[in-house]
Amino acid sequence: MAVLEVQNLTYTYAAGSPFEKQAVHAVSFCTRPGELLGIIGHTGSGKSTLVQHLNGLLRPTEGKVLLDGEDIWEKPKEIRRVRFRVGMVFQYPEYQLFEDTIYKDIAFGPRNMGLDEAEIDRRVRLAAGYVGLPEELLDKSPFDLSGGEKRRAAIAGVMAMEPDILVLDEPTAGLDPRGRERVLSLIEDYRARSGATVLLVSHSMEDIARVADRVLVMDQGTVAMLDTVQGVFSRADQLQAMGLTVPAVTQIMLYLREQGVDVGTDVYTVSQAVERLLPLLGGDAGC
Amino acid sequence: MLTDITIGQYFPGRSLLHRLDPRMKLLLTLLYMVAVFLPRNWYGLAAAAGFLLAAVLLSRLPLRLIWRSVKPILFLVLFTSVLNIFYVTGGTTLVHWGFLRVTTQGLITAAFLSARIICLIIGSSLLTYTTTPTALTDAIEAVLRPLKIIRINAHELAMMMTIALRFIPTLMEETHKIMSAQKARGADMESGGLLRRIKALIPVIIPLFISSFRRAYDLAMAMECRCYRGGEGRTRMKRLRTAGRDWLTLTVMLALMIGLFLLNQLGSVLA
Amino acid sequence: MIEVQDVHFQYEADGEHDLVPPAVLRGIDLTIEKGSFVALLGHNGSGKSTLAKHFNAILLPTGGKVLVDGMDTTDPDNTYPVRRLVGMVLQNPDNQLVSTVVEEDVAFGPENLGVPPAEIVERVEEALRTVDMLDYRTHSPHKLSGGQKQRIAIAGVLAMHPSCLVLDEPTAMLDPAGRREVLDTVCRLNREQGMTVVLITHYMEEAALADRVVVVDDGLVLADGTPREVFADGDRLRQVGLDVPQPTALCAALRQAGVALPQDILTPEECAAALIPLIAKKKGV
Repeated sequence: MAVLEVQNLTYTYAAGSPFEKQAVHAVSFCTRPGELLGIIGHTGSGKSTLVQHLNGLLRPTEGKVLLDGEDIWEKPKEIRRVRFRVGMVFQYPEYQLFEDTIYKDIAFGPRNMGLDEAEIDRRVRLAAGYVGLPEELLDKSPFDLSGGEKRRAAIAGVMAMEPDILVLDEPTAGLDPRGRERVLSLIEDYRARSGATVLLVSHSMEDIARVADRVLVMDQGTVAMLDTVQGVFSRADQLQAMGLTVPAVTQIMLYLREQGVDVGTDVYTVSQAVERLLPLLGGDAGC
Repeated sequence: MLTDITIGQYFPGRSLLHRLDPRMKLLLTLLYMVAVFLPRNWYGLAAAAGFLLAAVLLSRLPLRLIWRSVKPILFLVLFTSVLNIFYVTGGTTLVHWGFLRVTTQGLITAAFLSARIICLIIGSSLLTYTTTPTALTDAIEAVLRPLKIIRINAHELAMMMTIALRFIPTLMEETHKIMSAQKARGADMESGGLLRRIKALIPVIIPLFISSFRRAYDLAMAMECRCYRGGEGRTRMKRLRTAGRDWLTLTVMLALMIGLFLLNQLGSVLA
Repeated sequence: MIEVQDVHFQYEADGEHDLVPPAVLRGIDLTIEKGSFVALLGHNGSGKSTLAKHFNAILLPTGGKVLVDGMDTTDPDNTYPVRRLVGMVLQNPDNQLVSTVVEEDVAFGPENLGVPPAEIVERVEEALRTVDMLDYRTHSPHKLSGGQKQRIAIAGVLAMHPSCLVLDEPTAMLDPAGRREVLDTVCRLNREQGMTVVLITHYMEEAALADRVVVVDDGLVLADGTPREVFADGDRLRQVGLDVPQPTALCAALRQAGVALPQDILTPEECAAALIPLIAKKKGV
């Protein structure tokens, strides 16, 4: 299982010019094989810049990105190989679809890898299965699909490269609750079936809380927290201070604590909250 | 960064040049272009260059900005110079090398032409440095308005320019994003011959086209929502006004042109 | 303000496909009162955006009638008066700004209406002040954040002096901070200036801000009432791919476990306030 390690990564935009701006500063972390790591932070926190380093789209100004212990910039000419191993799904990925059929579009990545037709075919069908696109849609033009289907087709295009590590940047942006739920569950499902490590970038605490094992919180270009979901939410007040919106349930717990009822703020789903609150309320006691 | 590129590179300021009516600036620039081609001798060219230097100083623009406008065309200047050096013959032969001959006359012509091109470039970049793209668009609209007679709609042309200016940075950013996304899928845009590179651009160009159409559709609707119905019955927030300084500058420019004409005469008398 | 009477809408069949496209709106009746804040809630494809485009004559009903201040939108003479009265802000902040300078973009609407220049200047300043963007008047829109761009779009509509503001998923492409900026602006406009607001959204927390929620599903009005009334029926909302705000869901779950909580809780504050006395009571026992 592949491990991605970021060592002391610093990235400066327009280095040397008067517009110089440090977007990421001395970031270090290491992924665990097969985990789902959430990366959260508000716009401008550096999270998007950070993830673009993971597959070599950006080259660090200082520091290193190691894939299985090897510096990905060891041989700059072979950076494409890194991109095959660290797949990256951008924000609004449906805007990158360009082939005349969904099948061909999903096959674009595997074809760039130089695989043979049989292998490409296997991967396209497998990836389409991961994202729940039925066979009959594969021969359709991307423009005959609904918004949600397009999004899933684009995600399949990266999954078909069968990367060891899959990075998704805001995969649920702009979707309605049903579409959001669908994308999140397909990501979970993909992780379970492929065993790949998944990095999910989002500014939605709800999304991260719903699927992640661990959370990396970015603030002002640095790592502010790296902990389990519960660990991060137990510091909900700090998250709020960073301008992040915590789930409403967590918010309730924060209010309760202010009022002297501390039941912990590491709660982020309705069922957890029920579990935590019921003993205090004592079931039918209120009636 | 890619998104920092703006067409027309306006440089904010409050100088006389900044405050001139953009229509007048447009006219002045056109007149200066003519003026640069008037001189037949070095006196005239020196006068035209002196006038330009005065304008640059008046604009209070940093000199490196002026240099930046000249830099990209230096190659062109050099290229035409070399052509002139070899093509124009006359005067004393300095170097004779096979069928190539460098003569004093050739060198002089090359220098003269180079100076002319450089004046031309600096003159027109002064216009774009001191005028906002919108003011420039308004000026073009105003100047083209009489073309209505030959069925050219100045308002629509200006609207198109405005929208183009508005969307260039957006589309640049989008191009960059799509390229990154396709690179992440293993697209190879950095190696191979010309044909392969052009082919490698298809995955970028098609999504870009589609998204431009989508944007155009959205924008058209947004404009309709805001009661847009062409130039008819439209007013403008900013009215262009000519002030005393505009007419004064125009007078100076005309004086320069007459002066250049006289210097030509003087030159032939001296010769 | 806006009266929607049994509106049906169907796109015309295009030449390529002989199939007649399915009806998007299938008989909608709705009255939007002056000064109200109405949220139109529905999942993607429910017809909510199509309905909104009927409010300012961008789309015309294929059956039924839309009246804006008594003006029938199908009458071509009414098109521009209707669009001036009902301003519309669209989803994508990048695709609705016309000019390279903020103040000139805000001026675009009044310019189209033929407002005298001196008055345009006043209107632009007033509109930019209202959305708290006056400091950015000479900036270029493409360097602003998504939330700022949407506020400029709102200012552009306000400068036309409308009496109703329709926002078609204005926050769908924004980050949480941008969403808050836009919603704060919209709420303030409604409360302080009495602006009629129609907010189209699929976020439950946003709909909870309105004083009336209209749920649209499959081209029909599925529910219509105050947020408290509409969110009380969580199961029905979930059936049509929507949800209820988390606090409402939490209270419903606790109620089911026998805790006496009111049915109409929407916000975390309300929820905490309702829980505190219950917890205190239990402790006291």
